[in-house]
Amino acid sequence: MSAILSATGLVKSFGGVQAVDRADLEVISGSITGLIGPNGAGKTTFFNLLSNFITPDDGIVQFKGDRIDKLQPHRIARKGMVRTFQVARALSRLSVLENLLLATQNQTGETFWKVWTQSKRIALEEKQARDRAMEILDSIGLIQKANDYAGGLSGGQRKLLEIGRAMMSKPELILLDEPAAGVNPTLINQICEYIQYWNRQGISFLIIEHNMDVIMGLCDRVWVLAEGRNLAVGTPEEIQTNDQVLEAYLGA
Amino acid sequence: MFSYLFSFDSGILTYVSFLITNIAIYAMLGLGLNLQWGFTGLINFGVAGFVAVGAYGTVVLSMRGVPLPIAMMVGGLLAAIFGLGLGIATLRLREDYLAIVTIGAAELVRLVINNESLVDGKPGAIGINGFPLPLANFRPDIFTRYGMVLLLTGVFGLALWKLGDWGRRRLGSVRESKNKVWLTAVTGVGALVLVRADVVVTMAMLNFRDNQVVNGLLFCSVLMAALVFLLVETLVRSPWGRVLKAIREDEEVAKALGKNVFSYKLQSLMIGGFITGIAGAFYAWQQSNVYPDNFKSDLTFNVWILMVLGGAGSNPGVAIGAAIFWIYTTLTRDLSKLFPMIPTSQIDAFRMVFIGLLLIGLMVWRPQGLLGNRAELTLGK
Repeated sequence: MSAILSATGLVKSFGGVQAVDRADLEVISGSITGLIGPNGAGKTTFFNLLSNFITPDDGIVQFKGDRIDKLQPHRIARKGMVRTFQVARALSRLSVLENLLLATQNQTGETFWKVWTQSKRIALEEKQARDRAMEILDSIGLIQKANDYAGGLSGGQRKLLEIGRAMMSKPELILLDEPAAGVNPTLINQICEYIQYWNRQGISFLIIEHNMDVIMGLCDRVWVLAEGRNLAVGTPEEIQTNDQVLEAYLGA
Repeated sequence: MFSYLFSFDSGILTYVSFLITNIAIYAMLGLGLNLQWGFTGLINFGVAGFVAVGAYGTVVLSMRGVPLPIAMMVGGLLAAIFGLGLGIATLRLREDYLAIVTIGAAELVRLVINNESLVDGKPGAIGINGFPLPLANFRPDIFTRYGMVLLLTGVFGLALWKLGDWGRRRLGSVRESKNKVWLTAVTGVGALVLVRADVVVTMAMLNFRDNQVVNGLLFCSVLMAALVFLLVETLVRSPWGRVLKAIREDEEVAKALGKNVFSYKLQSLMIGGFITGIAGAFYAWQQSNVYPDNFKSDLTFNVWILMVLGGAGSNPGVAIGAAIFWIYTTLTRDLSKLFPMIPTSQIDAFRMVFIGLLLIGLMVWRPQGLLGNRAELTLGK
């Protein structure tokens, strides 16, 4: 049971506001880990620190044993840790299929001079990527939309697209920022099933979510953040009965 | 009507080689800018600066005995390096900064060439002339003439086919018969204009004057524009181009998926700059002299106008935009002969006013430009 991702003593302040104040987190390899906390607890900032979209003031982030807190965001993604966004970001004027194709890693055709020198290899890679993308689109039910502009998708479909896009990059760990927010109950169940399905194939997940059914149903371990600090950690059952958590968050 | 279609007036023919050369050069300029703005979303208001670097680089080198093709390539490379400098300074900042810095840098280039004496110790402000031109001794024989006719007819044929295709598809989707009549009329008139233009161009090609220096330049610029067009079309359809479009849409997403956004923006700025620099060499050759005043910001805005007119993000659109822009400019050049009672300066001002009105109209009714895709614009982010 080794940790695929661990953060220790992360600190970030914006002006006088201490958004994240010496918080820790650990994602066990192969697990689905939850991160919850009241609004303004610093969860999304914490995500940004992990993926280095915002540079931490202090603290260490390790992914697969290597320090990544000094790495640029795109390098972290290439190492196999991909994040999604709280408000789903579709690349509007690209087709749904192109959105997925973009996520393919190590594409020969992304180096511009190879567009001419290795055109055969690129064509082959494109075909393979296309097949894989269609498979993923089929599994998330967007195959009918493959050639439509992503900007025409509904909010829920965009969430699915983001998860599919993350999957396309063959990651080892996916950070999901509120995958169920603004999504109807049927689709939420569907998203949960995909997450479990991909988890069985060996992908670890770290999920921020306010929907307690999702968190309790999916997660192996839950970390609770409040006012930028760790409040508690444990199995969903332990968290549900933790008095501090109940007081700070669940409000019962 | 048919006899008109295939007739030609020899007076118009001298204009035609000038016109085609200009269209080819401005199409190259537009394609360079389109890569930067249309595909990557980088606001470059310094096109004139890139052109100046390319033009002066080529001219000064060729006057010191460097062969023209090499001088042109070096001119392009210098423009690319100019882009590299601008990019390193600004691309990490918000996009507005690039716009401001490029416009300033272009002025900087113009002031330098205005004050520096680059050739024979003569002051920069009086310009440079007497530099070597490509294929200056070129005398078109029967093969090159017909080759040119074939090439240009091919271009017109493609446009005609595209037009027919568009008309057919639109006709399928339109219900009301009144609109059908309209659509048929528009397609028909468009087709006639294309055929007519092809006839005039063919005649002009076959009536090449043997002593005209412009002949060689005409060949070179059309070939180079075709080459550049193929180059950028291949690039934007490749996975590389897909990354550019992703950056245009949302660079955070590209970053989150492992793309080095900064590097791609630099590449786009540099390749676009290289193309603009190459076009700059032709710009200088076509005028056969260079003055610092040729590189003011109205050059930049003309390139922006033709790109927006044709449709940013569409390379064929930009080529058509260049054609329309120059055909308009040529056709309205002699308006003062038709209206001798109005002062020329007023007519010139009106020509610009009309372009402005045209652009406003376009923004209201067809914001995507002539060949852009409307669906792309109506999408929410």
